[in-house]
Amino acid sequence: MNETGLRVLVVDDERAIRRFLHTSLAANGYVVFEATNGAEALEAVVRDRPDVMILDLGLPDVDGTEVTARLREWSRIPIIILSVRDQEADKIAALDAGADDYLTKPFGVGELMARMRVVLRRIVHPETEPVFATRDLVVDLARRLVRVRGRDVQLTPTEYDLLRVLVTHAGKVLTHQQLLRQVWGLGYESESHLLRVNISNLRQKIERNSARPEYIITEPGVGYRLRLEI
Amino acid sequence: MMYNSAMVNSDDCPLRWQQTELRHSGLARRAHRWLPYVYGVGLVAVTTLVGLPLRSFIDPTNLVMLYLLAVVLAALWLGRYPAVLVSLVSVLAFDLVFVQPYHTFAVADAQFVLTFIALLSVGLLISTLTAQAREQANAAQDQAIHTRTLYELSRDLTMVLDPADVARTVMNHIDRVFRGKAAILLASGQRLESALDSPELDLDRDERDAAAWAYEQGQPAGRDTGTRSEVKGTYLPLSSTQGVVGVLGFQSAGQAGSLTPEQWPLLEAFASLTAQALTRIELAREARQAQLLRESEKLQAALLNSISHDLRTPLASITGALSSLRDDAAFLDDAARALLVNTAWEQADRLDELVGNLLDMTRLEAGVRKVQPELCDVQDLVGVALERLGDRLEGRDIVLEVPGTLPPVSMDLPLMAQALVNLLDNALKYAPHGRPITVRAEAAGSELYLTVIDEGPGIPEEDATRVFDKFYRVQRSAEVPGTGLGLPISKGIVEAHGGRIWAANQAGRGAAFTIVLPILERTE
Repeated sequence: MNETGLRVLVVDDERAIRRFLHTSLAANGYVVFEATNGAEALEAVVRDRPDVMILDLGLPDVDGTEVTARLREWSRIPIIILSVRDQEADKIAALDAGADDYLTKPFGVGELMARMRVVLRRIVHPETEPVFATRDLVVDLARRLVRVRGRDVQLTPTEYDLLRVLVTHAGKVLTHQQLLRQVWGLGYESESHLLRVNISNLRQKIERNSARPEYIITEPGVGYRLRLEI
Repeated sequence: MMYNSAMVNSDDCPLRWQQTELRHSGLARRAHRWLPYVYGVGLVAVTTLVGLPLRSFIDPTNLVMLYLLAVVLAALWLGRYPAVLVSLVSVLAFDLVFVQPYHTFAVADAQFVLTFIALLSVGLLISTLTAQAREQANAAQDQAIHTRTLYELSRDLTMVLDPADVARTVMNHIDRVFRGKAAILLASGQRLESALDSPELDLDRDERDAAAWAYEQGQPAGRDTGTRSEVKGTYLPLSSTQGVVGVLGFQSAGQAGSLTPEQWPLLEAFASLTAQALTRIELAREARQAQLLRESEKLQAALLNSISHDLRTPLASITGALSSLRDDAAFLDDAARALLVNTAWEQADRLDELVGNLLDMTRLEAGVRKVQPELCDVQDLVGVALERLGDRLEGRDIVLEVPGTLPPVSMDLPLMAQALVNLLDNALKYAPHGRPITVRAEAAGSELYLTVIDEGPGIPEEDATRVFDKFYRVQRSAEVPGTGLGLPISKGIVEAHGGRIWAANQAGRGAAFTIVLPILERTE
């Protein structure tokens, strides 16, 4: 399961976390660079040209959200945020600022590697394929067809748009705001009930059991993600 | 020194009834001093008019009786000195109208001089005696009013529980009994501050100095006292067995602004009752604080015990496993290494759970984490909770009875999911493997009932409510790992949502934990 020399920048002020990430990532074949604060991180992105960045939210100089926002002015590098429990508002801010995903401390290496692969998919396999498939769900984006467990599913135009947005960002968390803006358009960011009702309907149509969804996962207080099988 | 003052203006008080009573008594007899004399002269005029038609057929010496009656009435109604005036005017009127020659002060018959002297003497005597009797009656009435006033004040003061209420009560009473404004100033560190926050009377520097002097010396100061009597107010120290606790300030609303001799002892008695009430409240507060301190010490001891045990145990396992891996690597086979690593991993997980619970509890109690409710689907809530449990559900049979037709419920999803996770976690720990755990959701009326049912040993009757107490763990559960915090956190979360939570035993099945949440009107 070794990656082929992809470069990763680890930004955290805790030496123990950096050391553990360095060891684990190196063992998985990544080339690892380290930074201990926001300023160093921005320099390192320019100097070391990493392919992906793991960014702690609580940095000593500027917080991770600010680093994300500044980076997004000129860089599309995938960013995975590290946060602690109960920082929903901070997670949302970072995701809205352009971060790609987040992990809640403490986390296992397996989970981190899975998230890394998801955000790197965009680089390793640019999204050219018009057909998306994971487990029993197939979405043909060119023909607007959705099949689950071998059966065609009839979706309303809104449900289809919602699924399409989730599928094109498969594996990645999308905040309520991002989904509302991309499916309904500007000005709908506070109409969260539209999102709730359509997610509920979509689950009734594609999930086996809406109370134990396999595909559309709720990130409580943050948003939704389409789970990839990796 | 700084002062804030709260004074009650007598004009604002609706309780006017007692004022009216007092006006007839010795306490409020100062107004219109000259009026009784006018009434006295009027009385003599009326008496004379009544006697006039009778003078041709009744002997003048008998008509004197009418004047004596007037003197008695004057003494009864008007007081001593108006009665003396009535006596004198009666003699003159009698001479002028009833003694021949009429309409002059000349006296034809010398015997009437005796009548004059007798009328005057009897009049003066009667006025003195009657007035004395009246004054005694007044004094007794005043005394009764004093007693009743003090009784009412002390009765009202026994019911109040904080210094501001004492001040309010005393000020109301002072306003009813004395015409004027009052303030209760309490010692606060080095300063005297009003017990109420509504400064209505501005205490200027001189008034403050007088109050401060009264406080420091424990002696009355200000108007009508020997010290700083040039100021507007009178300041009485509030002395109790605990020392001087504050100052009662009083400013009369009348023009004269002085206390009458009758008012002094009453105001002093007010000060004494106020001091007693304040002392009682202070002592009660101290007792309560001591009690709270004892309880919080007990809780902290329990917390410390629990934490030191629950933190140390997994840490010991982790350190032990890691040291073995570091130092004895050469002697370990793969299986042993895997076992040690798994032990360390599991114990770290347990440590994380404990720390998470402690943080959740602290945040809930400190009110750091506010409930941010949004309409959520119940299926989503259950899904999130199950997702969070992740691997712990592996090999377990979870039965979901959660229909998709339930109305959305207003809740803080991350918090409520944690409440449900804790219930499920509890069920996972106590129910035997291979037996199903059921999650059932149903709407009844305007409430959602969410129940987690296991087929474990159930909860001992006496523990059904105590399982929600912090650090409480059912006796026989020593072999089950836990922090005794999960259920209290669930309870805290549910109650913060305006809901209820309880534990019960399912007949012959196991334990059932139920969360009830209000379903609000749909807004969409």
